Amino acid sequence: MASPLPPGLAPSEIAFLCEMELITIVPRQKLESIDLLSGTTPTLRPPRRENVPLWLALLLKKQRRANIVPPPWLHPDSLQDIIHFETKINPEGWAPPPPPSARADGRGNAQRTNRPGTTPLSAPFLSSCTSDAPTGAIPYHWFELAEMLLAHAADDVTSSAEVRGLLRDLQEVRSAKLRAIPAQLEAGIDGVMSLRGVGAMELAESRGLISGVIEGVRKIGASAELSRREEEEQRGDADMDNEASDDDGMGF
Amino acid sequence: MDIDDILRSVDPSTGGIPRETTDLQILTRLWVAERSAPELLAWPSDGVFERVNNRIKAQIEKVEDMTGDMDPTTNFALIVIQTELERFKFLVRSYLRARIAKIDRHTLHYLSSSELRSRLAPTELAYATRHQALLHNHYLSSFLNAFPPQLQNLNDTAGGVSMIDAPDLDTAVFVRMLTDKEVSGRGSDRDNSLNAAEGDVLIMRWESARDMVTQGEAELV
Repeated sequence: MASPLPPGLAPSEIAFLCEMELITIVPRQKLESIDLLSGTTPTLRPPRRENVPLWLALLLKKQRRANIVPPPWLHPDSLQDIIHFETKINPEGWAPPPPPSARADGRGNAQRTNRPGTTPLSAPFLSSCTSDAPTGAIPYHWFELAEMLLAHAADDVTSSAEVRGLLRDLQEVRSAKLRAIPAQLEAGIDGVMSLRGVGAMELAESRGLISGVIEGVRKIGASAELSRREEEEQRGDADMDNEASDDDGMGF
Repeated sequence: MDIDDILRSVDPSTGGIPRETTDLQILTRLWVAERSAPELLAWPSDGVFERVNNRIKAQIEKVEDMTGDMDPTTNFALIVIQTELERFKFLVRSYLRARIAKIDRHTLHYLSSSELRSRLAPTELAYATRHQALLHNHYLSSFLNAFPPQLQNLNDTAGGVSMIDAPDLDTAVFVRMLTDKEVSGRGSDRDNSLNAAEGDVLIMRWESARDMVTQGEAELV
């Protein structure tokens, strides 16, 4: 009954998450809207573009009821830009994620979709894979989505052979950066470390290694950390005392 | 769908996000968090789980009705509905199973204080208490009764060492920011803070990340 999987999402679970990403399709047949648990699907009327979850898009594609419009960032030019950024402009970090989504409020203001008071949306519900997505920035589920599109809808992807090659290049560049992290950790483990722009599948791949290194170092260095904290506490107390005596001095 | 739903879907100020989609987002976030967090998280108090469960039940009834009439045009809709139903069932089951795995692992810990007990759903609490009692009775009848009476407890804290095993809260987790915020955390070699933007992925200790996750400023990935 209990889940036998170790903590952290497994690759198959990430693929499941990725299938919730909204994607744009061009229907080839009319289909009335269907009442689903996650809301109603749009009424499909060819050739009007609609956004549907990826799992539904793949189902429609398999039955030849629709064509998939690949997201703009999957275009060869956009991928080339990202590879250029990752290798030449910033060989250390990852390409930044797409900007937070914003929408018009009808009064001329652009507002972020995630506002206080509402349930914040995050991947896979950000519509970062529809045809409105920006180019030149790859979203959180980029790798899984591209793989699934190339596997099931290769004929809809613009110059799919080229895209496949570019994706492989990009993946190699980025996974080399992730593999370099344990070596960077040798210099010391900080309280917060940023992996801005990393993808879901890349994280799943290296999660065990990175958290294993951090855990191991933490356990080995537990006593050193404790004495460092005690020292800092004492120094903090000493500073407080000094300040207090300064205040006294000023008073006189 | 009534007139309010239609108006809400075109009103720019609500963002046009239907309730069902928000619920799916909440449930997905709960599932991912439960799969990644080292300790058991609080059972959702806003009734999202009950809402989703009721909708699943209604959908199953609808499928049973629809399978009755073999109209070829509704056939494809039925396939779509059933595919989605299976996806939801997987999500719900995987969430509950991840929770049971954690309860099984540290049963006595989660039963030890009222703060920790309040994280469990009523059914989970009943399961944990009964399972623990059965297990202890089994131990008693098979070998513990041969021990002196003062050594027959499973929750001994004598000698400064507690028998109750607790999850390690300093485990490193991966979080994704939901707001722009300055984040600080405790590390093995240095404590530091950095400015994180919405969508950034950070590695930090669960102890440091917990407050941000419970307040909805960040989510586990």
